[in-house]
Amino acid sequence: MLPLSIKDDEYKPAKFNLPAKISGWFRSILSDKTSRNLFFFLCLNLSFAFVELSYGIWSNSLGLISDSFHMFFDCTALLAGLAASVISRWRSNDSFSYGYVRAEVLAGFVNGLFLIFTAFFIFSEGVERALEPPHVNHDRLLPVSVAGLLVNLVGIFVFQHGGHGHSHGGDDGHGHSHSLFNGSVGGGHRGHETKHGHEDGHSHGDGHSHDDGHGHSHAGHGHSHGGHGHSHEDPHCHDELHTPGKGSSKQILQGVFLHIVADTLGSVGVIISAILMQNYDLMIADPICSICISVLIGVSVVPLLRESIGILMQRTPPSLDQALPECYQRVQHLQGVYNLQEPHFWTLCTDVYIGTLKLLIAPDADSKWILSQTHNIFTQAGVRQLYVQIEVAAM
Amino acid sequence: MDDKYSSNVLSSGRLGRVEVPNARLTRYIVLLLVTKLLKALGIFESYDLLKVVHIVQFIFILKLGSAVILVFFQKPFSSGKAISKRQWIKLLKHAVISCIISLLGFFGLTLCGPLRALLLFEHSDVVVIALLCVLFTSTGGGPSKTRGAALFIVAVICLLLFDNDDLMAKLAEHPEGHHDSTLTHALYTAIAFLGLADHKGGVVLLVVSLCLKIGFHTASRKLSVEIGGAKRLYALDNLVSSVVLLPWVIVLSVTTESKVESWSSLLLPFGMIILSVMILEFYVESICITKMEAPRCARYSSVFLFLSGLLLANFWTHPLTDQLRSMSKPPVHDSTETEHVLSGGVLVSAVFFIMADTILSSPSKKGQKGTLVGYSPEGTPLYNFMGDALQHTSQSLPHFIKESLKQILEEYDSRQIFYFLCLNLAFTFVELFYGVWTNSLGLISDGFHMLFDCSALVLGLFAALMTRWKATRIFSYGYGRVEILSGFINGLFLMVIAFFVFVESVTRLVDPPNINTDMLTPVSVGGLLVNLVGICAFSHAHSHGAAKSSCSSHDHGHSHGHSEQNHGHSHGAHGHGGHGQSSHGQSSHGHSHGSSHGHSHGGGMNANMRGVFLHVLADTLGSVGVIISTILIRQFGWLIADPICSLFISTLIFLSVIPLLTDAAEVLLLRTPPEHEKDLNVALEKIEKVEGVLSYRDPHVWRHSASVVAGTIHLQLMSGVVEQRIIQQVTAILKDAGVNNLSVQVEKEAYFQHMSGLSTGFHEVLAMTQQMETMKSLNDGTCIM
Repeated sequence: MLPLSIKDDEYKPAKFNLPAKISGWFRSILSDKTSRNLFFFLCLNLSFAFVELSYGIWSNSLGLISDSFHMFFDCTALLAGLAASVISRWRSNDSFSYGYVRAEVLAGFVNGLFLIFTAFFIFSEGVERALEPPHVNHDRLLPVSVAGLLVNLVGIFVFQHGGHGHSHGGDDGHGHSHSLFNGSVGGGHRGHETKHGHEDGHSHGDGHSHDDGHGHSHAGHGHSHGGHGHSHEDPHCHDELHTPGKGSSKQILQGVFLHIVADTLGSVGVIISAILMQNYDLMIADPICSICISVLIGVSVVPLLRESIGILMQRTPPSLDQALPECYQRVQHLQGVYNLQEPHFWTLCTDVYIGTLKLLIAPDADSKWILSQTHNIFTQAGVRQLYVQIEVAAM
Repeated sequence: MDDKYSSNVLSSGRLGRVEVPNARLTRYIVLLLVTKLLKALGIFESYDLLKVVHIVQFIFILKLGSAVILVFFQKPFSSGKAISKRQWIKLLKHAVISCIISLLGFFGLTLCGPLRALLLFEHSDVVVIALLCVLFTSTGGGPSKTRGAALFIVAVICLLLFDNDDLMAKLAEHPEGHHDSTLTHALYTAIAFLGLADHKGGVVLLVVSLCLKIGFHTASRKLSVEIGGAKRLYALDNLVSSVVLLPWVIVLSVTTESKVESWSSLLLPFGMIILSVMILEFYVESICITKMEAPRCARYSSVFLFLSGLLLANFWTHPLTDQLRSMSKPPVHDSTETEHVLSGGVLVSAVFFIMADTILSSPSKKGQKGTLVGYSPEGTPLYNFMGDALQHTSQSLPHFIKESLKQILEEYDSRQIFYFLCLNLAFTFVELFYGVWTNSLGLISDGFHMLFDCSALVLGLFAALMTRWKATRIFSYGYGRVEILSGFINGLFLMVIAFFVFVESVTRLVDPPNINTDMLTPVSVGGLLVNLVGICAFSHAHSHGAAKSSCSSHDHGHSHGHSEQNHGHSHGAHGHGGHGQSSHGQSSHGHSHGSSHGHSHGGGMNANMRGVFLHVLADTLGSVGVIISTILIRQFGWLIADPICSLFISTLIFLSVIPLLTDAAEVLLLRTPPEHEKDLNVALEKIEKVEGVLSYRDPHVWRHSASVVAGTIHLQLMSGVVEQRIIQQVTAILKDAGVNNLSVQVEKEAYFQHMSGLSTGFHEVLAMTQQMETMKSLNDGTCIM
């Protein structure tokens, strides 16, 4: 971490080697489970779209061609997710000192926005059609939409499963160490207790991670539940958060998952309305289905959007909302601390919280002790990186 | 009618609100629900009965029946203290007034049907008192209550004006002289004299009698205490009023012939009405009010009552229910199915009534969101008022609009957007109206498209407003990032649009459709003009801002400083302190340096404005494209011109959006601001050379918003130096480099020991110790130097 080593980056050869780069990307894609899943599903989707497109051109049906273009557009969401999951593992450099981990939040946000756009367009289209139902040609609809449904079901299965596996694999210490430390415990004692807390965390970890996996399938509800209350403490990670071993996480997965769910819902809607139209001649079924689906999509996207906007706007993490005032109280009760100023807490990426604050302390107070205690208190609450600026009050 | 004696509004309102968990109250709520359903049923039934039975007779029977039952249950004569003569007189007055009120109420019921009567007459005291407080006193209880009162009034007006009840049928049915008695006739002529239609007269009558009822309830509270309980009073009151009504009923039955064929067949409905409307409701309500608090009870009961009323109104005149009723009892009337049907106005007003009741009966939440933190040493309780508790207090709507308008007009950016939005909206509405008038679908759809475009402007406006919100506890850096997010969203939006236009034009390129070019030109020229104005305005803003930043940068910086208030302020103080102690020459140099840099960015267009500008630009390009392609198609018949134009334009939009998107994404990804990068490197080098600093670690600098650049750094110091001086020096250096929200953490050796104790990862500790060693060696090196 010395400046000498930082400058080393500049001496790397900057030649542009496309094949090497591509193979590097491939390797990084395949190295992580999430991005591997994403990649395979993208391939599946793309091949389906190409088959559809070529069949459409061959049979000269405009509907199939436009549907395949729609599929391509859908693939952009997957592509965004994939790109984000690769980018978020890039090393941090001089310009991006936190690394690119935020890409995942951004990808989730973009996906959510796209979904909102799509839902809006479908909605307006549905309203338009509800006013005057056009005659839909439903001969070819059914097989295509059934095939699309199958593809998407595979996607749902994979990502739900992926979510499970991911959280099972990645639970290297969701500590449940509330009130294991006390603000006044001595230094020598501390190490021992931390270890204790860590082991405790391991035993807790399984149940917890199960919760997490559940959250993915429920898309937004259980997910936030996972983060609440329990303080996620990853003791491994103080310096290394630029290269989180966990790989891509909630936001991307949630965004992609929502997208696939939306597609699946769309195909289900098309199938239902096609059946209704074929058997009962209910022309109104199509617009009603699409309106319902668009509303469903819109509603399910809102939690994702809200969360990612919160992160992007440097909101105080919702899971810390309850814990922070208590922490402030405890810090202010430390001996020699006069005041606590400008507390800023924000989320870097999933479960990585960063905080800065300023402490005004008495001139004769032990600043080192206060610093370590403050770190202690906030680490328990789940803040990974804390910057405490200590200022001595003028007498 | 006199069913809510015991709702002691005042006392229950004063005591502290204790939230009882819903689970314990479930059975009472269910009880309330059933009772209200029965009551609604009873009122519907009584409406049917009132068609055949004279109103005075009806009320007499009701009072008599309930008096018999209540006397049996309450035993007002055998239990309690004896009633003096004076109290009897009071009771007599009370009974007369209650008779009059129920007469008015039931007459209103005959006039405007059961559902409307339910909606108007069955509000609990709490609601009406809150309403009257809002209307006639200055301290109504805050904006939320005002909103509730407004909703209530709107609901009544809806019922008056927009409810086209079957007036014609009623008028035909009610020729003069049809009325059975002089009383109803008198009331009817009074209403006719007011110039109101039948059911509107009923509405007015019901509102008046509602007010009377509430006043009566409040007035009779004292009497109920005197008599010894609300229940006893209720029983006695029913008894006395039936006695009062008795002579009238006798006179009536002598003078007029009754329309009723057999009184025995009416026994069952009468019994049911007495039980549900008079007895059961009274008891259940009094129980619920003692178990729950009065406002909550009122809220639930009104909601249940209205909903069941709506439900019943839907099915009451249904042929199926008619059949059912005719099976169970002889047909008492030939039901006219179109009478008092559900109309849109009634539905709307029912919804409004429910909302108004909910708002008016909800207790004011002032100062109740604080959480108990603990007790101070003196023993007084300490409350913690969260920042958002203050924000959650509801605002008055007109006040809010006024405030936000003022805010919009305050600053240049938002004012610009606002004016352009108004222009755009005006153009859109003109287009829409013209389209509707001339019945051209193309214009209408174009108008809707314009409306959709306005959403981008609205977003930009909102972001420009939100940027100036103060930092809260939750958003501790302030809302400055909204600007960037809004720019990003606008950019994405444009990307999507460009993509769709591209795809569309590709398909058109393959197969160019025949376009009707008649309507296009004037509309697109109009749109072009509007958008040109927009471009001028926004690019003017751009140049203006730039000019401002170059010549009068102070002004700009000042306004920004205010918008983020406390942060910048305290930082400024720190920076100055640092200057005071460190070398003077450096500080002055740094000062000019920093300010010039800070403002060169702040003066330029921010992401939000860029997004809006690009949007307007895209629209302009679109209209230009349409005009060109129209001309080409007209002059030369090149149908291919249209898709080519749109291809070109979409590509152009796409390319112009990319810089905005990359910039916004970089900010969102917490990149070190590129324009500060060089200064920062210089500053970091300088920090290394500050005396006492061993090294630094994790320098993170990122732009939060246009005006806030936040940074954090860890410093490793030699033991035995004065931390504060170094912190101040470092702060000053970084501030000169443009970082205006900085926190510096000082680490000494003890810190590493602590961290190694805190972290259990072995390699972490290893890394730390290695770092320590390298630092020590470096320490030696610097010492030699």
